[in-house]
Amino acid sequence: MSTKLAKWIFYVGTISSAVLFLFLTWDTHRQIGTLTHADRLSDEVVAGKRVFQKYNCNDCHTILGFGGYYAPDLTKVYQRRGESYIRRALAQPEVLFAKSFRKMPQQNLSSEEIDKLVAFFRWVNDINTNDWPPQDSKKRRKSGVNRLLESATMSLGAALFKENNCFDCHSLKGVGGDTGPALDDVGSRLTLDRIKQQIRNPEALNPDSEMPAYPDLSESDLQALADFLLKQKGGE
Amino acid sequence: MIKYESQRVAYPYFVIALLLFGLQVIMGLWLAINYAFTLPQSLVDVFPFATARAFHTNLLVLWMLLGFMGGTYYMVPEESESELYSTKLAYLQLVILVGTGVAALIGFLFGWTQGRPLLEIPFELDLLVVLGALIFLFNIAMTLIKAKNWTMIQGTLLGGLTFLALLYLFGIPFYKNLSIDWYYWWWVIHLWVEGAWELITGAIMAWILMRITGVPRKTVEKWLYVEIGLFLFTGIVGTGHHYYWIGAPRYWLWFGGIFSALEPLPIAFMVWDTLRHVKERRVEIKNKAVLTLAIGSVIYHFIGAGVWGFIHTLPQINYYTHGSQITVSHGHLAFFGAYALLIITIFYYAFPNLKGYSNYKQTLANWAFWITSSTMMIIGLVFGVAGVLQTYLERIMGLGYMNAQAQMQFWFKIAIFTGVFFLAGVIMWIYDLLNLKPAESES
Repeated sequence: MSTKLAKWIFYVGTISSAVLFLFLTWDTHRQIGTLTHADRLSDEVVAGKRVFQKYNCNDCHTILGFGGYYAPDLTKVYQRRGESYIRRALAQPEVLFAKSFRKMPQQNLSSEEIDKLVAFFRWVNDINTNDWPPQDSKKRRKSGVNRLLESATMSLGAALFKENNCFDCHSLKGVGGDTGPALDDVGSRLTLDRIKQQIRNPEALNPDSEMPAYPDLSESDLQALADFLLKQKGGE
Repeated sequence: MIKYESQRVAYPYFVIALLLFGLQVIMGLWLAINYAFTLPQSLVDVFPFATARAFHTNLLVLWMLLGFMGGTYYMVPEESESELYSTKLAYLQLVILVGTGVAALIGFLFGWTQGRPLLEIPFELDLLVVLGALIFLFNIAMTLIKAKNWTMIQGTLLGGLTFLALLYLFGIPFYKNLSIDWYYWWWVIHLWVEGAWELITGAIMAWILMRITGVPRKTVEKWLYVEIGLFLFTGIVGTGHHYYWIGAPRYWLWFGGIFSALEPLPIAFMVWDTLRHVKERRVEIKNKAVLTLAIGSVIYHFIGAGVWGFIHTLPQINYYTHGSQITVSHGHLAFFGAYALLIITIFYYAFPNLKGYSNYKQTLANWAFWITSSTMMIIGLVFGVAGVLQTYLERIMGLGYMNAQAQMQFWFKIAIFTGVFFLAGVIMWIYDLLNLKPAESES
């Protein structure tokens, strides 16, 4: 190879890639407003982003998949946990995660700061991320559960228990999280109606409840889930 | 044996970079402890993981930049055949940058942060970094202008350094839109490590190889053109592999996927190029440690950045691995191979000359290389296993973040155990370089 050809490879390679990249950047700017619902980017959301940066949340949590890998991704936290759970985690992490093997620092946030962060997470939740992350993708979760149902290895209630992340906090036969109580004998402790209320709106029963509410479950799904839990009577 | 007195300014840059490297590794061990064990709330409240991570990553950037800058100050006088424009400016710049670094680290402890990973340092300190970079570029540019001895290697080096400084500017403003924020965050991070830093690496590696092998400049420079052309062709649009899931248009899955799948090519080319130069050497290579380090660096560069990058760069795979410990595995192997080993190569080339030995005892240097290289490979694999577990349990099985993490803790214990040996290797490097002894024949 001659030096002349080598130089050409350098110039053509670099310039073509740079021109393409700058063009795509220009086009991305044209589209990103729609993809991120920039019209909903209110002052409160921007203030929430400032709070998010002020407390360096991003060096433990990822958001859009970037940042520290030490704590859960926050892209879809609004959908996954709901507003009241987020508020509790921000205000009293030392209580909410008292039993967790990994802790979140108590940052002494003001209630205004918490409001702003919630607004920020609500906005981030609706960014069009091409259905990422998979663990929060409703589409993928639904199809995974449907596969289990089709193979008849699981009842609808059990499938819903898994689909709604109940195992994150509760355990059955020793499998699952320990933030919430184990549910092996929940059917002998609570009535059907009490179980349904607890799922639908835990704070109505106990204002200090750490459990997120599930207002979006359909009535029939709620019934199936509660039926499944009622069968958990403890013992073998 | 140095040829120009002003090359000595490189020495304090190197020594500080080495010590910061040691500190970075200690912080890394602390991070692994955070993963593997439960820490009390009272400790988490005052020194959270986030602060320790900011330490770990900012120390990395600082020591590597000091290594590059010191390397440039060492190389430019010989390459341009003239003294530096100003040694006073070089020392002033060092004081500014190190002072900024120390202020930033102390600031993090008290929550003074911009809160964006890797770019945590606050706006006021950003201005000082820019000032330091401007002094540096001015000093190098003036040296070259006065010397009127332009070479392609110097051009690549100065081009890379200028590109590096320009890109930093995109990381300074506050972006209202989170998606746009990450879009330009990657202009700093990706275009640094897969653009500007590769130019600097290419130039330094070419120069050291030319010096130790005696291969003619014409050959070295010709292949360097091809190498950096390929790096920039694949690396610039390759930035798109970070844009799959951030709210950017869907076509990035195509552009990012295709261009980044080609990114291993220039690294493979660099490996081939290096090995060929060594094979065609015209002089006997006395500084064997530098040869080992240089070859080790390019091969590790290929594994860590090329292979490990490739395995999770396609969108079909990245959908599941994005934001998991897989990235951690890739980051450690790539940074260690491509940049840490490269800078250590510079040190082992420059230190004996700065101290005036043509030959030195290389036992410890070899031990340190093999210990750090093998333990970092284990650490990379351990993070990789943790990442595969996380991907499978959290993202495919839907087990929930914390339940998946509980299954991963064991692997972080292995990482701590291995990390202690890695730290020992790094300490050996620091000790050896600071206490270099001439070889028996010379003393």
